[in-house]
Parts: sequence; structure tokens; C-alpha cells
Amino acid sequence: MNAYDEDRLKKLLQQALPPVEADPEPGRDLWPAMLRRLDARPAAPRPSSWAWFDAALLASLAAFAALVPASIPVFLYYL
Amino acid sequence: MNTHPNLRAYLAGVFVPTLVLPLLLTVFIVARIVLQVPVPIEQAMIFPMAVVPLLFGLWNMLWLGSRGCTHLPIGLHGAILPLVLMPLGATTAHCLGVLAFGAHGVTWFQAAYVPYALIAPCFLAALAAYYLIWKYVVGALNRVLGIA
Repeated sequence: MNAYDEDRLKKLLQQALPPVEADPEPGRDLWPAMLRRLDARPAAPRPSSWAWFDAALLASLAAFAALVPASIPVFLYYL
Repeated sequence: MNTHPNLRAYLAGVFVPTLVLPLLLTVFIVARIVLQVPVPIEQAMIFPMAVVPLLFGLWNMLWLGSRGCTHLPIGLHGAILPLVLMPLGATTAHCLGVLAFGAHGVTWFQAAYVPYALIAPCFLAALAAYYLIWKYVVGALNRVLGIA
């Protein structure tokens, strides 16, 4: 690449890129919006029907253990 | 975290039985020493101490190895384990004198009587408990260890 090519490339780049303004600050303060985004929590996922099924299963197990206490040591034997 | 996935699966699997074992020991010791129940603790501890943790670990390794083909959720995979464990445990317990078959029911540890009519509900309860344990405890551990 000779000096002529370098000058030509420089001119092409200057034409392609917009000139930087003297005051590059944004028009408004972006920090409060950034804080709002940081504070925003994702919405809690809706409990699915499987979660209710699992909770019902757990409640049934507790009821069964209360009704048949002899099953507790037997169950512990298998854990 | 991509090395030794089978070892991590085994460790995640043995976690629950390892936690339950001291609890089981406490129950048996309290029953035998405090409540003076003649529990054959030495024979009763063989299966939960030697076989159950091993099977839990191997079962989790099996899930890790087979999930690519079966796509089975870990809860359902764990719920199948009692089908293997229960006959094995009952046979071991009977051979060691921990389980006695009677005319109307079975007697565990020479203390806990379970009528035959309750065997099926007990089995279903075990399936449900294993499903929950594998889904929520072993599954969570698998995620923590990076294999799920």
C-alpha cells in the first residue's frame, strides 16, 4: 500500500464515518433507567399443575404415615 | 465441570441415603435402648447401610447414561427404583430375620406389624416418596453438580 492508497483510504473512512459531535452526552440521564432495570425482578413462574400434584402427593404421604406409623421405620429401611 | 460425570452422578445419588442413615440409626437405637424394643439392629442395618446407597448411586449413573435414549424425567426414573429395591430388601430382611411373614401380615424388626392389606398402599407410598425425592433432591443435586 503506497502513500496514495493510504490517503484515499483515509478519505473514504472519513466520508463513511459520521463526525463525532463536540458534546457526545445523551440528551437525558440514563442512570435511573439503568437502576430500574437492575431492580426489576423477573416475574415469579406460575405454579404448574405438576407442582400441585407433587404437593398433593406429599400431603398424601404425610397422611399415610400418620395413619400407618408402622410404615415409617419400614420406609426408612429402604432409604 | 465436564470431567467425571459418572462420579458426580454417583455422589449425587448417595446423598439422600447418607443423610437418612444417621436418622435411621437414631430411631433404632432409641427404640432399642430407650423404649426397650428388641430390635435386631445389627441385621437391620446391613441393607440400608450397604445396599441402598450403592443402588441410589448406580441408579443415578444409569439415569445419566440412559437419558439420551429414554428422555425419562428423573422423578419417574427414581420412582422405578422401589421395584428393584423392595423385593431385594424384603428378601434380605427375611434371610436376616428382620422380616417375618405371618398369617395376616408381616412383622418388621420384630416390632412393626403391617397387615397384608396395607402392603399395596405401602408400595404406592414408596413409589410416591421416591418420585418426590428423586425429582426434588437428587434432581437438584444433579443440577448443582452440572450433570442435569
